[in-house]
Amino acid sequence: MKPIITARKLCKKYGKFKAVDHISFDINEGECFGFLGPNGAGKTSTVRMIHCVSPLTSGTLTVQGMAANIDNRAIKQNTGVIPQEITLDNDLTVRENLQVFAHFFDIPRAEAAKRIAGLLKFVELEKKRDSKIDQLSTGMKRRLLIARALLNQPKIIIADEPTTGLDPQARHLIWQRLRQLKSQGVTLILTTQYMEEAQQLCDRIVIMHQGRILKAGLPAKLIEEEIGREVTEVRAPADQDDRLLAALGPLACGHERVGDTLYFYCRDGRTLMKKVLELDLPDTVHRPASLEDVFLKLTGRSLIE
Amino acid sequence: MNFSYRIAYVFWRNMISYKRFVLTTFLASLIQPLFYLITFGIGMGAYIGHFGGKPYLYFLVPGVLITSVMMTASFECMYGTFVKMVHEKLYDSLIATPVSAEDAVAGDIAWGAFRGLVSGGLMMIVAIFMGILPVSLVSVLLLILLMVFVGILFSSLAMIVTAFAPNFDFFNYYSELVITPMLFFSGVFFPLDKFPGWMKTLSQFLPLTHAVAISRAIFNGTYTRGLLFNFLVIFVLEVIAFFIGVRLMKKRLIK
Repeated sequence: MKPIITARKLCKKYGKFKAVDHISFDINEGECFGFLGPNGAGKTSTVRMIHCVSPLTSGTLTVQGMAANIDNRAIKQNTGVIPQEITLDNDLTVRENLQVFAHFFDIPRAEAAKRIAGLLKFVELEKKRDSKIDQLSTGMKRRLLIARALLNQPKIIIADEPTTGLDPQARHLIWQRLRQLKSQGVTLILTTQYMEEAQQLCDRIVIMHQGRILKAGLPAKLIEEEIGREVTEVRAPADQDDRLLAALGPLACGHERVGDTLYFYCRDGRTLMKKVLELDLPDTVHRPASLEDVFLKLTGRSLIE
Repeated sequence: MNFSYRIAYVFWRNMISYKRFVLTTFLASLIQPLFYLITFGIGMGAYIGHFGGKPYLYFLVPGVLITSVMMTASFECMYGTFVKMVHEKLYDSLIATPVSAEDAVAGDIAWGAFRGLVSGGLMMIVAIFMGILPVSLVSVLLLILLMVFVGILFSSLAMIVTAFAPNFDFFNYYSELVITPMLFFSGVFFPLDKFPGWMKTLSQFLPLTHAVAISRAIFNGTYTRGLLFNFLVIFVLEVIAFFIGVRLMKKRLIK
């Protein structure tokens, strides 16, 4: 597979603040690549440089063989952006929003009309085509943002936290549409703080924290390497740690105490669970390890503000 | 500076959104200048009598005309642009397309000038209905060009203000400290020659003074060589304001 986007020692500073700090990565054509990280990790700053709305501070960034730069209209012409914030044109109707954007991409009128009809169907907004934006629900607005990002038939789609604030139905519909796009050969770049979203969509991910890439790889492999397969959460006060660790510690490959919970990470949790039953610990959860565990282990469990 | 033909697309976007407000903006941009015409023109004009052989309204109308261009263009590029930039984040989505930040800002400056032209044009129509006519058809055409020209100047100046504005209140400083004084010190309502020397000098630094002088000359067909200087002042200021306005807005939009 050949990379469609290449970054080397990419940096972004706002004044003295380093938002992106010497990161390097390759994104392959046709894959879904995820940037995961807590607020302020540098995900959005990174993707904004990719779609040429933010100048690089240093490093190199190549998109489709071209140097990314704020004045690179050719990259923008081939990129679709689903922004984090709802940036629809409130003065215009659903259809007019798309018409105006088709114009910005130099799409001829007849072709634009055809694409708009197709896209409204794709995001299930046909009935709303003459509605004003304030008559739409948040989910509908997000779907319209997707349709808008697809108008120029982009080779690269950047989805910056595309499902923030959505109910489960709307979220699943958006995931389906994004997967559908990927199956059509589009390269998808996703930023998210929802681990489930990354697991659902991404082929490869990087976990970012404070402007750096902490880990990169396949989601399943990262979980396996960092956590194991299963997690047992035992809620018990800290003064019982000695007793619990003596009994359960040797059966797990790792443990961690956070607040009221003792986490045990295991490859095979059956022996540990037997012991838990013996000890009669009622407040216990046993579950498969997830990307969220990796994320929290790497970026810390304390609040990031 | 990275301009392209896409400036026209940004203008077109504003036109589509405008069709929903067109009637209310007609009213809004007519009412204040209309008051000036009625109160000053008819009320005060009755006492003033004739100015240079013509009724006072011939003095007043070209001034009010250009004032209404200034007001509308300024407010469009302050409040209008601010809403699009900060509240609706429209600029963010614009610059993610092949439209550059420069295109977007220039498109809005052109739009401000157009809105100014609409206001000034409406005033002209009202004046014509009141029987106050420009001297010739050529004058009408020249006045239209002048309104666009002056509109670009005040749109660009407003953009500079908008580039720094943290919120709506900020615009009050500009309109109270710059726009309103200009209204009274630029010879819109009465000639400047009775002003003391320092006030005359001050008025020469106000762009509206020069715009009003040109407008009045075109309206009444009384061209003098001094107009060339008035024109030059506006032209130079306009070019500077335009590039500074675009540059500062770009700095605000692209981080």
